[in-house]
Amino acid sequence: MTDTLLDIAMMHADNLIARAKGGDQNAQGKVVQLWYKRIYNFSYKFFLDHDLAMEVSQKTFISMCKNLPALQENARFKSWLYKIAVNYCREEVRKKKGSRSLSFDVVWNRDAEDSPKWESSSHRFDNPESQLQQRELSDVLQAALLELNDEQREVVIMKEYEGLKFREIADVLNISENTVKSRMYYGLDGLRKILERKNINKETIGYGL
Amino acid sequence: MGYKASENDLIAYLYGELEGKDKEALEQHLLENAEARMELERLQVLRHTLGHVKDKEVIAPTIFVGDNKQRFFWNAPYFKTIVSIAASLLIILMVGKFSDLQVGYSNGELKISFGGVPEVKQLETTPPNPSLTSTEVQEMINASLNQNNLAMQATWTETQKQLDASIVKNLAVNSAKIDNLVRESSAASQAQIREFVSGMHSENMQLVKNYFQLTSSEQKQYIESLLVDFAKYLQQQRNDDLQVVQTQLKSLEQNTDVFKQETEQILTSIISTVGNKNSLGAKN
Repeated sequence: MTDTLLDIAMMHADNLIARAKGGDQNAQGKVVQLWYKRIYNFSYKFFLDHDLAMEVSQKTFISMCKNLPALQENARFKSWLYKIAVNYCREEVRKKKGSRSLSFDVVWNRDAEDSPKWESSSHRFDNPESQLQQRELSDVLQAALLELNDEQREVVIMKEYEGLKFREIADVLNISENTVKSRMYYGLDGLRKILERKNINKETIGYGL
Repeated sequence: MGYKASENDLIAYLYGELEGKDKEALEQHLLENAEARMELERLQVLRHTLGHVKDKEVIAPTIFVGDNKQRFFWNAPYFKTIVSIAASLLIILMVGKFSDLQVGYSNGELKISFGGVPEVKQLETTPPNPSLTSTEVQEMINASLNQNNLAMQATWTETQKQLDASIVKNLAVNSAKIDNLVRESSAASQAQIREFVSGMHSENMQLVKNYFQLTSSEQKQYIESLLVDFAKYLQQQRNDDLQVVQTQLKSLEQNTDVFKQETEQILTSIISTVGNKNSLGAKN
């Protein structure tokens, strides 16, 4: 579903990006509209924080509009855009490291806030609404994702949720395709272990659904 | 083939990005190796699980683009400087336009002026002006000459009239005097003088008339001289007349003296003759 949407977006984008590069502000606006959700969701999954995700997205698109004329190949727009987003994400991570205790607090508080849901999900009552269940599962999965290290997390998000090809991810991160695949493998392996620890498996998901 | 390589291939295969020989090799490997199949299945399950994470809906801030635009154009230092320069240039142009500022360099002189075009025109037109006015001046001169001529004519006619009047008066006086003198003198001489004078008068009148007719025709200078001559002439005439009258009177006196002497002689002779006759008579 997301893949096809992205394909359509890309189709449009080729023409649109050419115009946006030429300084067409309308086209730039459309590019932003088209990609905002993707970049936001990427950074949201990376931080599991709406404010940080919004900040990174805005910075990314400001940078995009500024530097669009410098983009060499329109075909590489997608990886170029993600590269900007990844850099801003890393910048935010560096900031967070500067105030480590706070960051842990944020994570901790977030978990605390979500705790009632956690409880409900762990108890797995027989009659929860499927939508709520799904939200819960989504939250659990995203929390699990957050437990991966940054390198694995960004690769997993880009591959699994943003549908970038390994070659594109390698381009974004400036690393070899094999390294990307390796990180992907260990990322998935890590996730599996985390989910196992959280007692989430095929059966529980099936039950939840 | 190491396990590492197939691990990467497995991941690529999982996402459908393994192609050609590698794909075939991996599929072969999967058929042969149960553990690898298990691994792939676990990964597929995981992928399925991960697929439950839904995208968060987010509305791209529409202001964002506008904001972006503004940041682009208003915050760009180049744009600012260019706009400020353009604005100041525009102001200078506007001020120049409204104050009609003229800056020009020609014939080695720099001219900066407000509303200079008419000035320049004036400067340019001043040289032709004298040439224009020269004719005007000529006209003016002509007009003033005409005026002077008219005034002169007027004064001349006035003086002519005055002279005329004075001449007439003088003539009248002279003629009256002469008349008186002539009346006092003998009838013959009186008649002679009267005739002479009247002749003179009429002649003079004719002459003066002719003169006036001549003077009325544009020879004013000539008229003046003529008038002067005429006055002189009249004076001469009068003097002559007076001399004539004097000589006449002298001759009359002489005549009368002679007449007296003659009468005395006659009387003495008569007396002597009468005396002689008486003495003779007495003697005789």
